[in-house]
Amino acid sequence: MISKRYVIRVQITASLIIFIFLIPVLYTIVSSFKSLSELFSTSPTFFPKEWTLNNFIHVLSTGNYLQYIGNSLVVATVSTFIAIVINTMSGYALAKFKFKGATVIMIVILSTIMLPLEIFMAPIFKVIAFFGMYDSLWAIIIPPAATPTGIFLMRQYLLTIPDDIIDSARIDGASEWQIFTRIIVPNAKPAIATLAIFSFMWRWNDYIWPLISIFSPKKQTLQLAIANLTGEYGTDYTSALAISVFSMIPMLLMFVTFQRSFVQGTVESGMKG
Amino acid sequence: MISKVLTYKKYRRKQRTIPYIFLAPNLLIFSIFIILPAMIGIIYSFTDRTLFSFDGANFIGFQNYVTVFRDPFFIKALSNTMGLAVVTVPLMFLTALGLAVLLKQPIKWLGFYRATYYWPVMISAIVVGIIWQWILAGNFGLYNVTFQSIHAFLTKIGLISTPFTPSATLSDGRFAWIAVVFAIIWSRAGYYMIIFLAALLSIPVSLYEASEIDGANKFQKFRFITYPMLKAARTTVLILMTMEVFKVYPLVVTFTGGGPFRATEFTVQYIYQVAFQHYQVGIASAMSVIMLLIVTSFSGLVFFLSKRGESQ
Repeated sequence: MISKRYVIRVQITASLIIFIFLIPVLYTIVSSFKSLSELFSTSPTFFPKEWTLNNFIHVLSTGNYLQYIGNSLVVATVSTFIAIVINTMSGYALAKFKFKGATVIMIVILSTIMLPLEIFMAPIFKVIAFFGMYDSLWAIIIPPAATPTGIFLMRQYLLTIPDDIIDSARIDGASEWQIFTRIIVPNAKPAIATLAIFSFMWRWNDYIWPLISIFSPKKQTLQLAIANLTGEYGTDYTSALAISVFSMIPMLLMFVTFQRSFVQGTVESGMKG
Repeated sequence: MISKVLTYKKYRRKQRTIPYIFLAPNLLIFSIFIILPAMIGIIYSFTDRTLFSFDGANFIGFQNYVTVFRDPFFIKALSNTMGLAVVTVPLMFLTALGLAVLLKQPIKWLGFYRATYYWPVMISAIVVGIIWQWILAGNFGLYNVTFQSIHAFLTKIGLISTPFTPSATLSDGRFAWIAVVFAIIWSRAGYYMIIFLAALLSIPVSLYEASEIDGANKFQKFRFITYPMLKAARTTVLILMTMEVFKVYPLVVTFTGGGPFRATEFTVQYIYQVAFQHYQVGIASAMSVIMLLIVTSFSGLVFFLSKRGESQ
């Protein structure tokens, strides 16, 4: 039997660990409401003595941050849309068709996990430049839309759709594309939602693809812009903290709304993929 | 009758091509933007190509590899990265497993705990770097201020009489390196916790019940049921963690910038510098190939060890 004292001890441990995960984020958020003098005070308090929106006003009025936020939103949205279409298509092919080379294709997809793009930044730059995509938002929209994780997520889910539905549609004379759009996609909604959430998060938080492909200041994404606030001569905390909070807001909203999907998606793609 | 057979044959042929059409967009992107760069990276590593030379480059054999292994900064970055993997992967593994086991206990508010432990996973590495830099900033970051007030309290009740000396935090190489390890674990353990948690929840309860009848204690249950049953999850997690630690970079950009004095400069950052700031694509590609060999042999080793355990 499990003793009551044991349960209480575990409960307290779990509660204490929360502080490790929450306090750094919380301190960053409340600090972004501090005035300049409080930010650089030699005896800071955890919460601001006086709450002010000056940092946010400053950051939005001086830099091009609205533009960067806009770029990030466009990239994340369009790339997520493409990811849903092509990864669902691939997942369908791998889940519901028997064909020559299926194993080879699975190995190719798996091997892309083993080829971290972080390591091959220079040749990727060359390829992007060769296709005329350098300094274009398309370079950070199209290449990252194909994700092995997305394919596995979709494949895993689509395996659960009974073959009978697809076969009966074929007998009724539906074309393969009709089967895909009218049967597969509607039935795969939960998995598509999970993929959408993950893809949006990946693209919103991405740093490497924009770093390789974007040159013009106007085309920067939010993460690139935040990274540029730190440097050899120290960090501009007044802007960096406020803009970091901006970067966390969509993620926080998504997390609170779709918490279940995140957990489910991590399990499905991580475990079975 | 004959026409019907032909139609069926035609149908079969059509049916055979369809999966390839559905796979085409994904495979095209993979081939162009991942597999092709990896391959030309290998070719570049034997040439004197620079970032802006699009015409021919000279084949120079293993010259780049010789240069790379004679480059003290690369050796430093490489040993930093290997050290990081050796320290971070086991610690993060234990943290994630520990958290997962904790959340399998019969306590209240499990969903809330799971959400808060997982939450840092959603923050971009760039922002994680900013957050921890701010916590550790100079003498008056939250880190030093917390220790200062603890010190003040202990002085007040008469336990300490020495004056407080703030920690050098990120300007101390050793401290900065440990801080990077901590920040990686802080921001990523939640992800692996979920993988472990799912595996834990799929272990049949009957196994534990049977072991209880046989008189197994908590440790024995973990050692002989939980741990062996987590085999698949363990392998997945170890490989994913290894890959992740070897490619650490964005976090470091905003956290330490690789400093102080290259104490936290890891290979990806150095490859980036060589390729995009010194334009030495040939040399950078040689480094990439070396990294790829290391990463794949590490993952291969993990895979091999887990397979070997299976046959025993």
